[in-house]
Amino acid sequence: MSKPYGILALFNTAQEIYHAAESVRDAGYKRWDCITPFPIHGMNEAMGLKRSLVGAFTLVGGLTGFTTGMTIAWFAGEFNYPLIVQGKPFFSFVFPFPVAYELTILLSAFGTLIGMFLTNRLPRHHHPVMDYSNFHRLTDDKFAVVIETDDPLYDEAKTKRFLEELHPAEVVVLENKEEVKA
Amino acid sequence: MSSSSDAISPSLAASNSGRKEPSTIFLIAGAVLLAISTILLFVTGSEADPARNFSGWIVGVSFWVSIIIGMLFITMIWYLFDSGWSIVMRRQVEHAFAATPWLLVCFLPIIALVVLDPGSAKVAWTWLGHAKMSPGGHGSVEQDVLYQAKSGYLNYGALLIRFFGVFAVWIVLTQCFRKWSLKMDETGDHKYVHWARKLSAAGIPLCAAATTIAAIDWFKSMNYHWFSTMYGVWFFAASMRAGLAAIVLAMFWQSRRDGGLKGILKPAHAYLMGCIMLAFTIFWAYISFSQFFLIYSANIPEETFWYNMRELTEEGMKNSWFVISRLLIYGYFFVPFLWLLFYTNKFGWRIIAAASYILVFHLIDLYWNILPQELVGEHHEIFTRGFSIMPVDILTWLGTGCIFLWAYLKSSNQYRPIPIRDPRILESLNPNE
Repeated sequence: MSKPYGILALFNTAQEIYHAAESVRDAGYKRWDCITPFPIHGMNEAMGLKRSLVGAFTLVGGLTGFTTGMTIAWFAGEFNYPLIVQGKPFFSFVFPFPVAYELTILLSAFGTLIGMFLTNRLPRHHHPVMDYSNFHRLTDDKFAVVIETDDPLYDEAKTKRFLEELHPAEVVVLENKEEVKA
Repeated sequence: MSSSSDAISPSLAASNSGRKEPSTIFLIAGAVLLAISTILLFVTGSEADPARNFSGWIVGVSFWVSIIIGMLFITMIWYLFDSGWSIVMRRQVEHAFAATPWLLVCFLPIIALVVLDPGSAKVAWTWLGHAKMSPGGHGSVEQDVLYQAKSGYLNYGALLIRFFGVFAVWIVLTQCFRKWSLKMDETGDHKYVHWARKLSAAGIPLCAAATTIAAIDWFKSMNYHWFSTMYGVWFFAASMRAGLAAIVLAMFWQSRRDGGLKGILKPAHAYLMGCIMLAFTIFWAYISFSQFFLIYSANIPEETFWYNMRELTEEGMKNSWFVISRLLIYGYFFVPFLWLLFYTNKFGWRIIAAASYILVFHLIDLYWNILPQELVGEHHEIFTRGFSIMPVDILTWLGTGCIFLWAYLKSSNQYRPIPIRDPRILESLNPNE
C-alpha cells in the first residue's frame, strides 16, 4: 500500500462547496478537485480554474480541415487532372468551399472530442474517489472537495485540519488502491 | 437569493419622473436634416443618374429599419424560447421599438415622390415608369417580356399596399410587445408574457414575410431582371447582425448611466450577446455566400450579371465595387468572425468595438446591395453606377438616426431600465455563461 490518494471533504449543499472551493483556492492548493452531481455556475471562478485548452484543439482541427479540403480540390483540379468545367478556373476558393467547410466542421468536432479526452486524461476506468463509501451520493445529492497528496502544500495533518475548518459533513482520507487491483 | 434582491434595488430607485435629457435636440436635428435631405431629393439629381438620391435615401432609412427588424426578430425568438438571460436587454429593445412608427414617417418623402410621379426619372424603382428604357431588356419597360411576366406583382397599387402592409406588421408587433411589457411594470400581471409568446408565434412568419417583401420591393426590384431566393434571407441575416450590434451598444451605454443599467449589466450578458453575434456573423456569411455560390456554379447570364455589376465595368475592367466586394468578404466576415471566436473578445470594450464595426460594415453592405445598378445613358449605352457617397445619403442616414435616438431616449427616460416584474427577471439579473 502506497501513500493515500488524498483527503476528501463531504458537503451537503452547493453553497457550502462553492465557498469551500473558494477557501481551498485562496489557501493556494493546486492539485485538487470538486466532485458535484451537476454543474455549479461560477465554480470555475471559485476554483480559480483557467480557460480550458479544448478550444485550441478545436481551432487546430478546424484549420486542418479547411486546408485539407482546399488542398484536395487544388491537387485534383490544378495539378493531377486539370479539367475545364463551364469555363471556370482549375482552382478557385469558391467552388470547393462546401467541401472545405464540411471538413472544417468535421475536424473541428474531432479536435474538440480528442481535446476533451486528452485534457481530461480519459479514458480512465477507475479513479480512487470511486472507492469512497459514499461515492454514489456524489452523483446524486452530495458534494465533495478532494485535495490530492501530490499537492505541494499537502500535509496530512494540516490539510485535514484545514478541511475540517470548512465545516464539512465528514472528512475522509482516500486510499490509493490502484496497485492492489493490478 | 440576497444577491438578487441587491441587484434589483438600483432599478427601483429610478422612478418614472426620471432625468431630463436633451432628447428633443435629436428630434429637432433629425427633422432639420431630413427636411434638407427632402429638398435635395426633390430638387437635385444629376442628368446621367437622376435616381441616385432616391437610392441613397433608401440606404439611409433602411439602415435604421433593419435595426428594428433585427431587434423584433430577436425579441420574438427570446419570447418563443422563454429565455431567461435576455430580459434585461429586452427593455433596451422595447425602448428602440418606440421609433418604429417614426421610421415610416422618415420613409414618406420617397413615397411622396412615387405618388406624385411614378414614372419620374428620380424614382429608382424603374419598373414604375413604363415608358422608361429597360437596361439589358429590349426597348421600354412595358415592352419588356420580363416586366410583363412580373407585372402582377410589380405594379404601382400593389407596391403601395405592400409598403404600408409591411410597416403595419412591424408597427403592430413592436408596439404590442412594447406596450405589454411596460404594462407589466405597472400591474405585474404575467398574462402579458403569455400574450407576447402567442403573438411571437404568429409574428415570426409574419415578420419573415414582411422582411422578405421589403427586401424584394425596396432593393431587389430596382433591378427587376434579377432573381434570387436568398435575397430576403440575406436582409434578415443582415438585420439580425445590425439589431444585435445596436443592442450591445445600447446596453453598454446604459451601463454607465445612473438609473440605467449601472450595476445591473454583468459580464455574462455581454458574453451571451457576443455568442449570438458570432452566430449571426456566420449565418450572414453562409447566406451571402450561398447566394453567390449557386449563381457562380449555375453560371447563367440572367443571374451572373448582378455580381458582374459589382466587380466589372462594361469593358471588363475592375470597377469601384470590386474593392467593396472584397472588403465585405474579409472585413465583414473574416475579421468579426475571428474576433468574436475568442472568449476574451466578448467582454467590455472588445465587444463594443465589434458591435460598432459591424454597424459600419452593415451600412457598407447595404450600399453594396442597393446602389450598383445598370443605367441607360443618353445614347442608350449601358453603364454601371459606381460607388459614391452623396449628401442625401449622409443627411438621410443621420436624420433618421437622430429620430431613432430621440424615440429611444424619450422612452428610456420615461420608463424603467429593466422589466422589473417580468417572471424571469431574477434569472436575467444573475446570468451565467
